Amino acid sequence: MIGKKTSLILTLIMTAVCILFVLPLLIVLMNSFKGQFFISDEPFRFPNADTFAGWRNYTAGIEKIDFFRSLFYSLFITVTSVVLLALFSSMAAWYLARTEGTASRLIYATLIASMIVPFQMVMFTMSKMANLLRLENPVGIVVIYLGFGAGLSVFLYNGFVRSVPLAVEEAAQLDGCTPITAFFRVVLPLLRPITVTVSVLNAMWIWNDYLLPYLVIGTKYKTIPVAVQYLQGGYGSRDMGALMAMLVLALIPIIVFYAFMQKEIIRGVIAGAVKG
Amino acid sequence: MNSRILKKYFPFFVMPISVCYLLAFLIPFLMGIYLSFTEFTTVSNARFVGLSNYAALFSADDNFLHALGFTVLFTLVSVLTINFFAFLFALILTEGIRGTNLFRTVLFVPNLIGGIILGYIWQLIINGILIRQGVDITFSATYGFWGLVVVMNWQMIGYMMIIYIAGLTSVPVELREAASIDGAGYFTTLRHVIMPLLVPSFTICSFLTLTNSFKLFDQNFALTGGAPGRESAMVALDIFDTFYGRAGSEGLGQAKAVVFFLILAVVALVQIRLTKRLEVAP
Amino acid sequence: MKRWLSFAVLLAALVLTVSACGKNKDTLYFLNFKPESAEAFNKIATVYEKETGKKMRVVTAASGTYEQTLKSEIGKSDAPTLFIVNGPVGYASWKDYCLDLKDSELYGHLTDKGLALTSGDGVYGIPYVVEGYGIIYNKAITDRYFALQNRSTSVGSMEEIRSFEQLKAVVEDMTAHKKELGIEGVFASTSLKSGEDWRWQTHLANVPMYYEFEQDGISVADGSVPEVSFRYSDQYRNIFDLYINNSVTDPKLLGTKQVADSMAEFALGKCAMVQNGNWAWSQIAGIDGNTVAEENIRMIPIYTGIEGEENQGLCIGTENYLAVNKRASAEKQQAALDFLNWLFTSETGKELVTDELEFITPFDTFEADEQPNDPLAAQIAAYLADDTRTSVPWVFQLFPSQNFKNDFGANLLKYAQGNLSWEQVKSEFISKWKSEAQ
Repeated sequence: MIGKKTSLILTLIMTAVCILFVLPLLIVLMNSFKGQFFISDEPFRFPNADTFAGWRNYTAGIEKIDFFRSLFYSLFITVTSVVLLALFSSMAAWYLARTEGTASRLIYATLIASMIVPFQMVMFTMSKMANLLRLENPVGIVVIYLGFGAGLSVFLYNGFVRSVPLAVEEAAQLDGCTPITAFFRVVLPLLRPITVTVSVLNAMWIWNDYLLPYLVIGTKYKTIPVAVQYLQGGYGSRDMGALMAMLVLALIPIIVFYAFMQKEIIRGVIAGAVKG
Repeated sequence: MNSRILKKYFPFFVMPISVCYLLAFLIPFLMGIYLSFTEFTTVSNARFVGLSNYAALFSADDNFLHALGFTVLFTLVSVLTINFFAFLFALILTEGIRGTNLFRTVLFVPNLIGGIILGYIWQLIINGILIRQGVDITFSATYGFWGLVVVMNWQMIGYMMIIYIAGLTSVPVELREAASIDGAGYFTTLRHVIMPLLVPSFTICSFLTLTNSFKLFDQNFALTGGAPGRESAMVALDIFDTFYGRAGSEGLGQAKAVVFFLILAVVALVQIRLTKRLEVAP
Repeated sequence: MKRWLSFAVLLAALVLTVSACGKNKDTLYFLNFKPESAEAFNKIATVYEKETGKKMRVVTAASGTYEQTLKSEIGKSDAPTLFIVNGPVGYASWKDYCLDLKDSELYGHLTDKGLALTSGDGVYGIPYVVEGYGIIYNKAITDRYFALQNRSTSVGSMEEIRSFEQLKAVVEDMTAHKKELGIEGVFASTSLKSGEDWRWQTHLANVPMYYEFEQDGISVADGSVPEVSFRYSDQYRNIFDLYINNSVTDPKLLGTKQVADSMAEFALGKCAMVQNGNWAWSQIAGIDGNTVAEENIRMIPIYTGIEGEENQGLCIGTENYLAVNKRASAEKQQAALDFLNWLFTSETGKELVTDELEFITPFDTFEADEQPNDPLAAQIAAYLADDTRTSVPWVFQLFPSQNFKNDFGANLLKYAQGNLSWEQVKSEFISKWKSEAQ
């Protein structure tokens, strides 16, 4: 064990490191209250009487990108996809783990093989497919997320299911349960820990995803990352103030989520580390 | 549960996710492989051209090889720096110093933020520093490169640190104590007792940072957009630009995507092999 | 179980509501190129629906992503029927999608048929807005200069300036007197941040290239130019040096400046001049603390020192052409043409064009008093009416690619920072043109 003095020094060092880590976020917050022309030139200066803009950047940004509409799309798509992914993947993972056959093994292998495929490989053809099947709306895109999220979710559920003793299910069957009722009454509750993990991972992915929603529904329904990107660019009209304010608003849901779910998130990312 | 009874329930349990998977992923994937041998602007007008797309992407006119080189170098630097700092912080934060929990919490925060948002946050900071030299990040690919390294470090250190901490806390205390009774110093214990036990953590973290760096898109797109010119575009961004930047090069873009996929597949296979071997030999 | 069920019901209800909203009943889908007109077009769509009962959808691509958006949208089943083609280079990419508009009513109303985007016998793009740019100046400040007793030039007013020599003399003398004039520099920052450099790599380069093409007998209708000599590069350098050496900002710092910064400097009276076009009016007027009075805003042509420039006018032209999707159904195509006729010939439509879009249009349906009443548009109209002036057309439509322009812009920055010689800027302009034009 280390001595008191070393311990104190290490605490000081880590305090400095942590300040360095949150500083960028604080600088964005600070700049979101400055007039748009005082941001790129001097981002590290505090607002003063000349440069203070009050809430103007926020109102301008919210209006420009219709922030609350984007927030709704982001929330709707994330929640729906996460819930359905957990439901459908747990069903499939349990079934595939409990039936030993070539077909089951083949389906499982195909599903998890998708984990190594980069998005760019399928982005163009997938957008065409989405168009063909009329999936270009906040409901349709959920189907796409189900397809893309299947690999990791089924993989994680499958690993967990294998550790659930068969005896419980057999008892349920003796009580007259069909596989469906047995799954929902007995198995699914047992899968709770991994459901939390899978949902956390999927939520973080879908909430932050940019390219997929941009390509599939980007012109009509802008999720938050797409809307923020839309604010950028600007043929001589890029508004740095609004950009800063929208970055802050985009960060708030994430910080809130983290504050409430910290334990689950940390556990989730450790479990998800295997995906590679 | 009886397999024969279960069989009837296949449609109920497996169909929903499989159909989505088939439509959103598998069919587009197979179509993608086919289209990489064709020329097309919309999927329906594909014309078979053999390997000419693949020949084109390796030619000097194209940016692909440059992007690949940039990506490989970036990945190398990122993997080294991220794992160095993550392991260092993990060591410090398993010594029971004051504030450990708060430090862990704070260091992990950047990992939750999406790539686009991260890119813009850092664009502000980096340009704010570079403006003293009168330039910004789009001025040279070197700035872009180091900018991306910083962003990647900021985002991934906390995550990797958590994995290292999980590994470190599973090292039995007795082992350490035994080593210190034998008169081993801190660094000797670290080098000969702790680190060998952490090989699985090192493998996981290395591959995780490797694939994440290699596949990087959002941060690259938001931070530099490939500027100046296409010099700071990594492979994922280069593929995107090839698809959507100009008409008529979709086949080329698809061929690049296939090469990109193959490289990542090889990496994944190496990882699986390595992990298996580590599990066998304790 | 119960909780699950109620949750599922809730979800199903949500899915239904959202999918009901998502149903597409638009008869017309217009992909707009100009981000600055996005709001105006949205308003037009509302009015159009109110008047005719026809629903239309306007999508505006984020700046710099138009081609990308068009590309991903046009392959879709619900593709845009009405879209914008950016000159002959844009037409080359989209010719499979451009309907021949030769027999359309709108083409009949085009005052100068030579402005349309043609290929063979067909008319594939109709210009819908005429824009002009030059050097915008604040008359309040220049008047103050011309009233100075100790000024060292013989020029008496901005209108007298008819050559680069005179412009240079005035500008440099103004710089010498900048304290008395209350300005930080004569010109606003030459914004050379990447993506913000189009005023230089495109608009300014138009002037020397116009004279070169003129000599070589090349016109926009030719569609593409394989090679150029950039023989007036020294004249380009003349004006560029004048901009950066008499600026509000140190030349080394120009890489961080955006167009919005320059326009703010002009609006706040920190400088006297800025190169830009009539579209900039709303931007100037919209800046908090704008000190430039409407009646003091004027424009002069960009003089570079090329022989014969005394009669040069503003750079006036268009790079935006309306195109109708050839692959859309006949019904949808008709809907697009109907909308265009409504917008450019009906009273309501025309009013929206002048007041909301603030476009100067090239159609004969617009009377002289139906022009936007902003001061910069008035300047354009005045120059157009002046027979002694020859307008410079927008030949930059022939520049081979965006890549070419971006590289030229990056080199201009390096030159401004002293990291690249003018010789190299010139030779890369020529070689890059050649390689991109293939």
